[in-house]
Amino acid sequence: MTQEIKTVPFTYEALSQLEMKEGILELQIGPAHAGSGHMRILAWVEGDTVVKVDPDVGFVHRGVEKLSEDRLYIKAIPIVERPSLVDTVNANLGYVIALERLLGLEPPPRAQYIRVITAEISRIMSHLYGIAIYGIFMGSSTVFMWAVADREPFIDLLQELTGARITYSHIIPGGVRWDLPKGFADKVEVALRYLENRMKDYEKVWINNPVVMARSVGVGKLSSQDAIRLGVVGPNLRASGVKYDVRKNDPYAAYADFDFEVPTFKEGDSYSRLLIRVEEIKQSMSIIRQALKRLPEGKVIYEDYYKRMSPLMKEIYDKTGRVKFTLMLTSLSPPKGEAISRVEGGRGEMFYYLVSDGGKNPYRFRLVTPSFRNLPYFTHVMPGHKLADIPVIYGSIDYFPPEADR
Amino acid sequence: MMTFLYFIPNSWLPLLESAFYALIFPGFVAILLLAFFIIWFERKAAARVQMRYGPLWVSKRTGGIIQLLADMIRFSFQEFIVPQGADFIPFVFLPGLLLAFSVLPTVFIPIGPDYSHIFPSSYTLLLAVAFTLVIPVYLVVLGWAADNKFSFIGALREAYLLISYEVPFILAVASAFLLYGTLDLVKIVGIQESTLPGIILNPIAAIVYIIAVIRATGRVPYDIVEADSELVFGPYTEYSSLMFGFVMGVPYIELYSYSLLFSVLFLSGWAPVTGIGFLGGLILPGIVTFVKAVIVMCFLVFLRAVYPRYKLDKAVRAGWSWVFYLALISLLLSAFVSRVLW
Amino acid sequence: MSDQKTPRKSALGEVKGHIDALATGFKYFVDPHRMTLDYPAEAMELPKNYRGFFRLIDEKCIGCSLCEIVCPSNAIVMMQLPVAQPPAPKAGAQGSQQAGAQPAPRPAPRVKKRPLVDWGMCIFCYFCVDVCPTEAFEPSNIHDLSYFEESEYRPTFEGFLKLPESPSRNSRKVVARLDEKNGIRYEEKGDKE
Ligand code: SF4
Ligand code: SF4
Repeated sequence: MTQEIKTVPFTYEALSQLEMKEGILELQIGPAHAGSGHMRILAWVEGDTVVKVDPDVGFVHRGVEKLSEDRLYIKAIPIVERPSLVDTVNANLGYVIALERLLGLEPPPRAQYIRVITAEISRIMSHLYGIAIYGIFMGSSTVFMWAVADREPFIDLLQELTGARITYSHIIPGGVRWDLPKGFADKVEVALRYLENRMKDYEKVWINNPVVMARSVGVGKLSSQDAIRLGVVGPNLRASGVKYDVRKNDPYAAYADFDFEVPTFKEGDSYSRLLIRVEEIKQSMSIIRQALKRLPEGKVIYEDYYKRMSPLMKEIYDKTGRVKFTLMLTSLSPPKGEAISRVEGGRGEMFYYLVSDGGKNPYRFRLVTPSFRNLPYFTHVMPGHKLADIPVIYGSIDYFPPEADR
Repeated sequence: MMTFLYFIPNSWLPLLESAFYALIFPGFVAILLLAFFIIWFERKAAARVQMRYGPLWVSKRTGGIIQLLADMIRFSFQEFIVPQGADFIPFVFLPGLLLAFSVLPTVFIPIGPDYSHIFPSSYTLLLAVAFTLVIPVYLVVLGWAADNKFSFIGALREAYLLISYEVPFILAVASAFLLYGTLDLVKIVGIQESTLPGIILNPIAAIVYIIAVIRATGRVPYDIVEADSELVFGPYTEYSSLMFGFVMGVPYIELYSYSLLFSVLFLSGWAPVTGIGFLGGLILPGIVTFVKAVIVMCFLVFLRAVYPRYKLDKAVRAGWSWVFYLALISLLLSAFVSRVLW
Repeated sequence: MSDQKTPRKSALGEVKGHIDALATGFKYFVDPHRMTLDYPAEAMELPKNYRGFFRLIDEKCIGCSLCEIVCPSNAIVMMQLPVAQPPAPKAGAQGSQQAGAQPAPRPAPRVKKRPLVDWGMCIFCYFCVDVCPTEAFEPSNIHDLSYFEESEYRPTFEGFLKLPESPSRNSRKVVARLDEKNGIRYEEKGDKE
């Protein structure tokens, strides 16, 4: 059954007609509002029913693309991390893959595995954050606090690896910056088992909570045809029953080596979007375990790079596993050409497009973030629901305004 | 009685006693202290569940119990802003009025067996219920007066919920009346003392009552009126300064009077303790009633740590369907139980 | 696994859901798993490799400006500092690896170039630390910094030669341990070994 989509065109006349209509109230939710995030949502309600929603994106636009374009290639790494602060590894990874394709580099297998491990840890954190936002938008501060607190063990893991809590800047062209420290696998195992235990409590307090089910089952339905037509991505797409995951469909890093499921749900409502995140956390755990078990030996940076390091740098790398930057890395100038890369971030497919004119800075850099592509939920799914469903749908799609605004 | 106050003419004593009730216990001072405690408890309990500490740094030794005092001081130094379009008189005076009205029901709720000579009436149950039901009307006016869309929607939600949960609430109280056969709360406790607490005699009525109380006082999961993720703070959105403190305190005081009534109606009030005179007939039983009420309150505020918010249409539907059916069943149960017992 | 349907509940299941939720909440109320750190009173001892404030080791720096080039947020400026002319020509004491290869016929320069980091702009990516060919930056795990006046904050070269003082340096130090039951557990720093 395809959903009938109400379309009120975004023209000035149509909107002003809407405002003139008797009994329609225009609500400006945000940008300084508890339930809007860094954006303004314009909602027109008739009684308690939402007639039209207009997400006003761009409030936290920071010009990531343009900022990256007047910097050295390497300098864009911390910048591309900034839009999606809860999922930095995947953002970093996508950019570096595009850059590597321009340069024609192939990182060694150990680096690929480390990338997968950190990316999956990042995905777990991103999904936990999504659950947290869903919780706070539905008025449960407990789940918000829990999920945010349960990111902490994983932050701690990556902190031990990279030395930073959120903005790791860990992945560089040709490899990663730090090798896994000793005993890392055991610590990961502890954190994973902790989360597994906690998930049981989440199930009781949150997922099976009758109030949660009453509010989210059947709310914000998007059928699979509509989901494909509107181009939504990531867990939201899979919650609508479309089995599409970049990790499976276009494997990057070392994802081809692991076997994992791509969970999907039939309904496509807010509740299945919550459940899919829980399921994907389980899959990520299994990927991390597999990767740690089969972690190949070797260098974390490609051989040629290692050869060009100065003796001091080599010594540091051999002793601590820290990759020093050489002059080559700082002044990358890829040959003329263009490259794209796609990665499956926590919120969905991240797309990177990089054009080089042979100079030291990217000629053009384009970044398409999953949150932006999930915007149709506002314009096409929210109308027809109740006012109180706006935060539920908003929370369930795990929309992150800074990421959409870039 | 009160022999130490020998210098006061005997004829003044009832007056003094009434003043004591109104001002100190279970009246104003007790309510104030309780509001402090319960807000602190709510935050602490939620914090414990949520892996946090909650208020701590204002007086660390006591676990931050005077946090609210600090907040109040801060509120009182803030500017009180009246929005341009607001209806001045209701906007400014309703918070105080609301506060006064929320304290009022406690007058009619006896806290000891000797209360009947302080407030001699055999319709105390009716009076208490009547006065608790006044508050939402003012809340609707308050939401309208602020001239803010969110306040307005909040007030409308309050009106919807008011209508749909008032009926079950009154039915629950009516089934209590049917059960005990009297409207005099002192007698109601007497009956419970001689038989069983009301919560065992008619648990369904107690459940319906609790649900209605959660609704009426806006506790989670029924904090639909002030739902912060869509309506910033519901009818109270435009308030600032001390007025905000007032409107924030109102639900807690309401909660207190509802819980006091619950402890008298269903938890057999001062049950194990009875006596006569000022101390034995009022203060000691009063403390027992009070403690029971506080436990009920603690349970109700604890819900914040577990539940998310319910939705308006679902809540209204629930109010008219299963809560209403439960209320009807509780009436039948009351009729049945009272036939068997009496 | 895939293509699941979301579960639905009967009325009885709903009652069970309520009881489960309340019981779980109560479980945590009785036995809280606190994860907050009582920050100013106790502070976390961060791992050695934490990317905190760093300082410049003047003797090691060769003034190559690489750190300025690589800094993504342009937080580093190279300063021209006058060099007190030594009576004897400079020995290869500093930066021996780099300078050792080349003969030194040139006269000693009058100025030396030294980096200066503006902490207000730094994002602690440690690109500069990693790019420095002579390891002239000494990293530390100090992550907190507070000033009473703006003048204290202003970056100076002398200030950059020593590590800033952390406001929590006198707090009780704890270390975070991963824990299967509690997630993160804070232990006294002493019982580490
Ligand atoms: S750590 Fe700070 S100073 Fe160094 S490169 Fe990064 S932003 Fe620049
Ligand atoms: S600190 Fe290091 S990178 Fe920066 S100028 Fe000195 S030697 Fe060069």
